[in-house]
Amino acid sequence: MSSPSHLSLILDLTPVPWDALSHSTPPLRLKDFLAQALVFINAHLALRNENSVSVFGALPGRSMILYPPAGSTQVEADENTFHVFGQVDEGFMRSVEQEVEDLQEVEEDVPPALVGALTKSLCYINRLSNPPPPSNPSEAPPPPPHSRILLFSVSPDASVAYIPFMNCIFSAQKLKVAIDVCKLDESEVIFLHQACHLTGGAFVPITQREALLQYLSMCFLSETETRKTLAVPTLDKVDFRAACFCHKEIVDIGYVCSVCLSIFCQPVLECSTCRTKFSPDTLLRFGNMNLNGHAHTHSNGTVTA
Amino acid sequence: MPPRRDADFNISDDSEPEDDELDEDYNASRTIRTKGKGKGKGKELGAYAWEASYKRSWDTVQEDEAGSLQAAVQDLVARSKRRRCACSWGDAPIRRTIIRHMMFLVDLSTAMMDRDMRPSRFDLTLSYAREFVSEWFDQNPLGQMGVVGMRNGVGERIGDMSGNPQDVLKCFLDKTLLEPAGEPSLQNSIEMARASMNHLPTHSSREILIIFGSLTTVDPGNLLDTVDACVRDQIRISIVALSAEMKVCRDMCERTGGVFGVALNEGHYKDLLFELVPPPADKSPVSRLAAQAGEGQSELMQMGFPTRLPATAPPSLCVCHSRLRSEGYICPRCNSKVCDVPTDCDICGLMIVSSPHLARSYHHLFPAPAYKAVLELDGKEASACHACSLPFPTTARAPLQTEEGMSPHGRYRCPKCKHDFDAECDLFVHDVLHVCPGCG
Repeated sequence: MSSPSHLSLILDLTPVPWDALSHSTPPLRLKDFLAQALVFINAHLALRNENSVSVFGALPGRSMILYPPAGSTQVEADENTFHVFGQVDEGFMRSVEQEVEDLQEVEEDVPPALVGALTKSLCYINRLSNPPPPSNPSEAPPPPPHSRILLFSVSPDASVAYIPFMNCIFSAQKLKVAIDVCKLDESEVIFLHQACHLTGGAFVPITQREALLQYLSMCFLSETETRKTLAVPTLDKVDFRAACFCHKEIVDIGYVCSVCLSIFCQPVLECSTCRTKFSPDTLLRFGNMNLNGHAHTHSNGTVTA
Repeated sequence: MPPRRDADFNISDDSEPEDDELDEDYNASRTIRTKGKGKGKGKELGAYAWEASYKRSWDTVQEDEAGSLQAAVQDLVARSKRRRCACSWGDAPIRRTIIRHMMFLVDLSTAMMDRDMRPSRFDLTLSYAREFVSEWFDQNPLGQMGVVGMRNGVGERIGDMSGNPQDVLKCFLDKTLLEPAGEPSLQNSIEMARASMNHLPTHSSREILIIFGSLTTVDPGNLLDTVDACVRDQIRISIVALSAEMKVCRDMCERTGGVFGVALNEGHYKDLLFELVPPPADKSPVSRLAAQAGEGQSELMQMGFPTRLPATAPPSLCVCHSRLRSEGYICPRCNSKVCDVPTDCDICGLMIVSSPHLARSYHHLFPAPAYKAVLELDGKEASACHACSLPFPTTARAPLQTEEGMSPHGRYRCPKCKHDFDAECDLFVHDVLHVCPGCG
C-alpha cells in the first residue's frame, strides 16, 4: 500500500441554514449530522493506522480549527474504545459544543468564513507535507500523507470572496489536494463546482438526507489513489461563471480590462484595479450594442456616448 | 566587472560546512552587487566590497548546550528562507502586465560546454529552463513563449510562440537537437525574436530573455541598431550571463528596461532566472503602459464564461468543426457549443474564456499583506499559529546576529487582521496561497 492519507473536514456551521435543515423534510439536525460525520471519521481512521484527520469549522465571519485541539487534552482511557476514536470523538464534539455555545447574535447576511477555514486547512496540510526535520537525523522522516479536503456546504456561494476562494483552489492544485464537496441543501454553489472540477474532487448533492452516512462512505471514503480505479461521482455540468470586481455579482458575460484582466459587470471608463483608462471607441462600441439590444442585461447604463 | 573569483573565495567556498550557509552568501553578495554593481572598493577592508559579505560561517555557527549544531542549522535555514521572501515581496506595484509574451533565447555556442557549473553549463541550462518554463506558465497562464537558439553565428528557431507549456517544454527535451556549436550571434537572434513579436497586440508585454554563456558575439551589423529597434518596439530585454559582465549586454538591458545579472554559481543562476517569473511591475510613470493608458489605447474586452458539458452529456454537433461529440462548452450568449476554450464563438463572436484561467493571475493584483516580524511580546498573544495551530516556541531563540525581518519568537503578524503566524505558514501564505488565513 502507498503512503497514508490525511482527511481534512470543513464544516459550515452557520446557524440559519442548519435551523432550516432541521425543519425541512426529511429533517437533518446538526446533532445527527455530527454523529454521522463522526462515524465517517472513525471509518477513515480505521482504514489505516497512520491515517490522520483534521476538522475546521466556518461560522459567519470567523473560522476555527475544531480538531486536533490546540492544547494537549487528556482523554480518559476506556477499555472498550479504540483510543484514537475516543480522542477524536471527545475532542471534536467538545470544540463544536464550545463554538456553538460561544455563538452570539449574528446578522443573517454575513456569509460563513469558508475561505478562512479553507486556508487554515491548506496551511495545516502544508505543514504535514513539509514536516520539521526530525531531531535525530539518522531516522528517515515518515512519508508525507496524501491529503484531501471534504467540505460540507449548507449555504450558497459568497461571491464577495471570489478571488481568495480561487486562490485557495489553485493552492490546493499545487499541493495536489482534492477538494470534495458534500452539498446538504439545495442552494447554488458554482464556485464549489469549480473547486471540485479543478482539483479533481467529487461533488455530491445529498438528495436523501436520511442516507447521509451511506453517501459519505460510498463517495468520500476512498483515498485519492484508490479513486483512479473507482467510479467516483463527478459533476455533470461545470459552470465557469465569475464574480465581477465592481458589484461582486456573478456574471456569465463580463467586461475584462486588457491590462490586468479585472472583470466588470458593465462597461466602465476606468479600470478600478490598475487605473487604466479605456479608449472611448471601445466604450462606444459596447454602448451601441446596448442601444441595439444585443448585449446582456447587465451591461445597461453607465456609458453615455 | 563582476566579482572576480580569486583563490581566497574558492577556498572558503569549498570548505563551507553548510549548503544553506552557501545560499546565504550568494544572496548577500547579490545585494551588494546590485547596489554597487560590484565595482566599489571596500574602504575599511581595502578589498572588493563583495569580500566583506563573505562571512566566516564557521564563526557564526555555535553549538548548543548538548554540543549539537541542529538549532544553529535550523536557524540558518529559516533565515535564508526569510531573506528570499523579503526580496520578493516588497510593496505591491500598481500595474503589472498580465498578458506576457516572451522569447527565450538560449546560447548554444561552444562556450556552453564549459564545466564551471555542474554538470555543464549546457545541461544545467536545460534543466533550469524546463523548471523555468513550468513555473512561468503556472504564474502567467495567459502568457506565450517561444524559443530561439544561438549557435553557428545564426539565430535558430527552436519553438514557435505558444501558449501551451507542453509545446515549450518539448523544445528543451531533446538534448541532441540542441548540441552546442560555433559562436553565438546576439544581433541575429534578437532580430529573429523581434520579428516574431511584431504582430502582438499593444496591451501585452514583449520580452526577450537571453541566457548568455559566451563572451563574444558574431554580428552581421551594428548590435546597437538592433537595441534601438527594440527600444522603439518596446521590447524588454533581460539577460542572465554565465561568464562575465559585458558592457553591451548591461546597456542593452538598462535601455530596454530589463534586468541584467551574472550568475556566480548554480544556485545564484537559478535565483536570477526565477526572478523573471513574476510579471514585471510597471512603476515608472513614462512606461509604455502608462503612456498607453493616457492615450486611451487600452481596451475593455467583452468575454463570456461558458458552461462545460461532461463526457456523459448527450452528443451534439459543435459549431467549430461540426463534429458530433459529448464534451464541449456552451457559449453564454448564443448557447452554441464549442469544442475548446479560449476561443471566439463562431456564431456570435463573443470571446469565450474559462474564468479560472483569468483568476489564476489575480494574486499579482491583490497580494496578501506582507507580515511583520514580531520583535517583542506583550503577553497577550495567542499561543499557537493562527493558520496551522501549531504552538509557538515558548522560549525566544537568541538570534545569532541581529537580522532584519527575523522574529526571535518565530512570530510574524499580519498588519490587517493582527493575527500571528509562524515562519513556515508565512512563507506558504505569500508564496502559494496569496490569501491571509486571518483576513479571509
